[in-house]
Amino acid sequence: MRHRLGTFVVLAVSAAPFVGCGGAITPDELSRSIGTLESTAAEGALLAKDVARDRTKATFARVHARDLSDVVDHEAEKLNDAQADRSDVAAAKSDAIDLADRIGTALGQIQTAPGDERGGRTAEQALNRLSEDAGKLADGL
Amino acid sequence: MKTILQIALGVIAAIGGFVDIGDLVFNAQAGSSVGTPALWAVPVGVVGIMIFAEMSGRIVAVSKKPNFVLVKERYGRNLSTFTLVASLVLTVLTLSAELGGLGFVLNYFFDVSVSFFVLAALFAVAAAIYFLPFGGLERVFGYLGLALLVYIAASLKLDPDWGEIGRGFVPESHSAAVYWYFVVGLIAAALMPYEIYFYSSGAVEEGWDRSDMKVNRANAFVGFGLGGLISVGILVASAQVFKPAGISPTSIGSVALIAQQPYAELGLVLALIGILFAVGGATIDTAFSAAYNLAQHQGWKWGKRFKLLDEPRFTLSLAGFLLAGFAIAETGVDPIELTEYAVIFSIPVIPLTYLPILLVGNDRNVMGEYVNGPLARVMGWAYFGLICVLALAAPVLFVATNGGG
Repeated sequence: MRHRLGTFVVLAVSAAPFVGCGGAITPDELSRSIGTLESTAAEGALLAKDVARDRTKATFARVHARDLSDVVDHEAEKLNDAQADRSDVAAAKSDAIDLADRIGTALGQIQTAPGDERGGRTAEQALNRLSEDAGKLADGL
Repeated sequence: MKTILQIALGVIAAIGGFVDIGDLVFNAQAGSSVGTPALWAVPVGVVGIMIFAEMSGRIVAVSKKPNFVLVKERYGRNLSTFTLVASLVLTVLTLSAELGGLGFVLNYFFDVSVSFFVLAALFAVAAAIYFLPFGGLERVFGYLGLALLVYIAASLKLDPDWGEIGRGFVPESHSAAVYWYFVVGLIAAALMPYEIYFYSSGAVEEGWDRSDMKVNRANAFVGFGLGGLISVGILVASAQVFKPAGISPTSIGSVALIAQQPYAELGLVLALIGILFAVGGATIDTAFSAAYNLAQHQGWKWGKRFKLLDEPRFTLSLAGFLLAGFAIAETGVDPIELTEYAVIFSIPVIPLTYLPILLVGNDRNVMGEYVNGPLARVMGWAYFGLICVLALAAPVLFVATNGGG
């Protein structure tokens, strides 16, 4: 019996991340997703600031910008595949996909030229602005 | 100098144990998410592992029995086999996460591909295991992993609010499930089963006897204490850098980015070197723990102190576990997610790991004059009770908080 209970707990925990797959996206799920975009943009801005001030290694900046970009792409794909029942959620979802696209572009600037200090400054400003936009979008839900 | 060299086992067990790839990110997430109020959980976990590591080292010094031999003797066939299978699954999952993590860290230096560096890491770890003596493995990975002390320096340089940090070491009541998720995770990270399996088997490898009681205490208290300090450093620095910016770290690169803030490229490089060797140490801890446990359960001859080719079953199992970890890592699974699951799933195995140590440590027939004193007995049972509570709370909090998210 104890082993069965243990198996149940393991299966229940394993299944947890998949609960919620399918069906319409809820405002809470959308808010979490936008939170990820906000956080990733803010982290990108921090990285870009160090690129702008020549305080980092170029290979690290390139690889980490790529990792952050992958997070944003993954989030955009999830949002794109999700359905929205309510019109306000659908509008926010569309705005979030657009934000993800712009965050990805700004991160791409660091990835392409991790030694370019001027480009780093531009990316930092853009990413800070996009992080704020994501915050406002999440607050509006 | 001799004493410094003798605490290598504790250092590698600690930094390979609770500053491994998942815990590095987990500590940073705790700092960015709940901040310094979760700090008290670190010393709670560290004191727990110190008590049980000291006890298991003392048991080895007296009886020459490592932890899985105690499991086998105290549990009988069925329960010891269950403990073996559960610990092997978890340890191999963690091993694969560490190998994957090594691939990521090396790629930050050279930008070729993570997959390529996972393969390179497998060869490097296998070569280190084959060519270096046990003491050499401990020292190379344990001491170079101490480059992670950069996080302590970083947390000081970032000028934290000392009042807030002081208050963080005092437990407070909290209603947020996320807070408790991180508290439970921080305590559990210090008590990962493979640390204690590695520590007790390592004591056998080093041939500890009754004259090594001081060395055992130094390893348990200084080694694990250093690991705890690094955990605190990462949490505090993350609370300084990430929390105000609303950043939730998701990768090992995010953890490295913390050290870059106060010390620029030097901080970054030190952090990456520290992470590389800490994660390398964790890879060795986990690979050996899995092979030790299997050999001790099966009654095979085991250990790095013998020539590996003279004990083919132990050597083959060590190689097999490394290859299994490599195969899982090469599927591209996210090492951070993998260790999060490994930590959560390991928690139910923790009571099964620690109970035999307590029973034998309290047994005067086995331990003679080295039996647990009243303090060790009380603290041991108190921690065992805490471990049982964690085992029940962890899966519930994981589901309730969506993995702390």
